[in-house]
Amino acid sequence: MITQVPHPVLEVHDLTVSYDQHPVLWNVDLSLPAGQLIGILGPNGAGKSTLIKSIMGLIQPTSGYIKIFDKPLPDVRSRISYVPQRESVDWNFPASVLDVVVMGTYGKLGLFRRPGKKEVQIAQDALDQVGMMAYSKRQISELSGGQQQRVFIARALAQQADLYLMDEPFAGVDMATETAIFQLLQDMARAGKTVLVVHHDIHSAMNFFEWCIMLNLHLVASGPKDQVMTEELLRKTYGGKLNLLTQVTDLIRKQDFNPLKR
Amino acid sequence: MEDFLYFFTFQDPSITWVVMGITLLGIGSAYVGTFSFLDKKALLGDAISHAVLPGICLGFVLAGEKDPRYIVTGAFLSGALATFLSSWLKQNTKLSEDSIIASILSIFFGIGIVALTALQKSGNPEIAGLNSFIFGNAIGIAEADLFLYGGLSLAILLVLSLFLKEFRLMVFDPGFGKAIGFPMKGIRFIFNVLLILAVVIGIQAIGVVLMAALLITPGAAARFWTDRLQPLLLLAAFFSILSGILGTYVSFVVPQMPTGPWVVVFLSLIALISFIFSPKSGIIKRFIARRSYLNKTHRDHLMKALFKAREVNQGSMTLEEIYALYPFHKKEIAHSLQLLTRQGLVIQDSQGVQLSSLGTSDAMRIVRLHRLWEVYLNEFMNIAPDHVHESAEQMEHLLTPELEALLEQRLNYPALDPHQETIPRESHDL
Ligand SMILES: Nc1ncnc2c1ncn2[C@@H]1O[C@H](COP(=O)(O)OP(=O)(O)OP(=O)(O)O)[C@@H](O)[C@H]1O
Ligand SMILES: [Mg+2]
Repeated sequence: MITQVPHPVLEVHDLTVSYDQHPVLWNVDLSLPAGQLIGILGPNGAGKSTLIKSIMGLIQPTSGYIKIFDKPLPDVRSRISYVPQRESVDWNFPASVLDVVVMGTYGKLGLFRRPGKKEVQIAQDALDQVGMMAYSKRQISELSGGQQQRVFIARALAQQADLYLMDEPFAGVDMATETAIFQLLQDMARAGKTVLVVHHDIHSAMNFFEWCIMLNLHLVASGPKDQVMTEELLRKTYGGKLNLLTQVTDLIRKQDFNPLKR
Repeated sequence: MEDFLYFFTFQDPSITWVVMGITLLGIGSAYVGTFSFLDKKALLGDAISHAVLPGICLGFVLAGEKDPRYIVTGAFLSGALATFLSSWLKQNTKLSEDSIIASILSIFFGIGIVALTALQKSGNPEIAGLNSFIFGNAIGIAEADLFLYGGLSLAILLVLSLFLKEFRLMVFDPGFGKAIGFPMKGIRFIFNVLLILAVVIGIQAIGVVLMAALLITPGAAARFWTDRLQPLLLLAAFFSILSGILGTYVSFVVPQMPTGPWVVVFLSLIALISFIFSPKSGIIKRFIARRSYLNKTHRDHLMKALFKAREVNQGSMTLEEIYALYPFHKKEIAHSLQLLTRQGLVIQDSQGVQLSSLGTSDAMRIVRLHRLWEVYLNEFMNIAPDHVHESAEQMEHLLTPELEALLEQRLNYPALDPHQETIPRESHDL
């Protein structure tokens, strides 16, 4: 059940990604429409983060390619915004909440130029949108996990992009805030932005996403929510181990080279 | 005492030069070192500083004398080789980072010591000066050499201030940096070059064995005092200069005394003092906290006054009007005004003083906290409306965002306070 669209915002073409020896994404081939709030669903270790990282060019794919706005990534970097998983940084770094959110403006600033009043204002607005304005001067180590997550969301908003990639932005975020930010993301989608969110809660996924990607080492489904959020496809995604693929992965790991690499 | 005066009054121009050199060196190595400390790469700095020894010997052999240009180049190259080897080994083997760094440190240093011993046996009379590279001798640095070391320090400072934003990103979130298209590998490379240079400029004054202490200890000690990057860098530089000058003084007074160990003694002392007295341990903290609390109250009061002027549709206030409100705190209010203007929260022009849009939202929050607390006292503690102001006057400076949210929730987002004044939340509440 994979729906392809004409003039996609994001086109992933036959993507295979491996770490060292073992492949974790097999031949993912999908295209996504503009102006939608899109969910990426799948169990732990399904390769959701890997997919996002490959789209961001942080991992070199073994084969296949990715096009964004019909162009290769380096041409459109400034139009893409990225929220990594919160654990990826050291929150003891000496910085205030505002300092971190201002980093969202670095991409447009480019090298060497220092952020000024305008960048601070953009960052303040982004903080306001995630309801963290009152914390702007606080040291980042003094935030709760959910608040740190919201700082990351604010940093992404400060990037003022057209395509947003968010890796579990709601991990540890309370329900009320989650709903509020989901509504914010919906508004952004309505304004023509495309928002991709890795998400674990099927219930709120049902409520908020318009399009869903289901992943478990290979692409199970990609299409409008009503068509893909079926019991059968959900069972295919989450239920049971993908015995065959896992065994093949193990087999490849035992080789001295990666046979999938060209 | 005589020595002390002679040294610190800088009558001797050569002392002035040495102190200037040590100062530049201290700033450079403290800045670079603080970043690598934050990046948890302290060990790498130690490995590099030990690893420059073979290069020093090589430079000496090639020049046939103690020519600083040859020595600096040799030291830089062997430091670079060590850095490259350690990252290559990390990428291409399964060895852990600390075992790689420890091996590189000991192998390079071992080779360096062997080369040094061999040179000493060669009978070249210039060789005596080479020993000072082990533990450092700041006083022995010739004026001409100082220009080389000082120039390199200046270059480090220049590049660092140019790349401040990029290095911050490199340490905090390199993945994000890569995602927004910054050449993070190149930035890391430049940083490594700076790190090696910072080691190289210190080898004659501090010595290869202890140079890592000058890199890492200032930042580590300063970290006890502050949670912000810029003050951290400045404080680290200050600690580094202080111990550098004191160490130089000791080696000036006591003949044959190497500089490096004394610099480290003073650095350790500073680190110890920081550990005991730092804000995190609480002795000076209370004093500073009280001071900054008082300053905050003055700033808050000023912003509140400006906000209230806005509420009654008076655009801005004149300085006289403001001072009239706080007749006993003129000095503090003037100081607060300066600070708020600098932070962009308050705008001063010919008509007087008014809040900026940023300042308005801050001020609104203070007024909101004040009025929320009044409602709380009135509704939940049954205190009469004319008795709630005093307490709110204190709580408005203290309430955290969490408590604010809790108050709002408990009170169910009240519109008015007990004095029938609006509790401001959005800008249209003005
Ligand atoms: N840096 C790495 N090196 C080697 N293997 C990795 C690396 N990162 C991830 N993997 C493996 O790749 C697979 C997919 O990982 P990925 O992080 O993409 O999963 P995920 O769907 O994001 O899971 P989660 O829901 O737990 O975040 C996992 O089996 C994991 O063990
Ligand atoms: Mg993940």
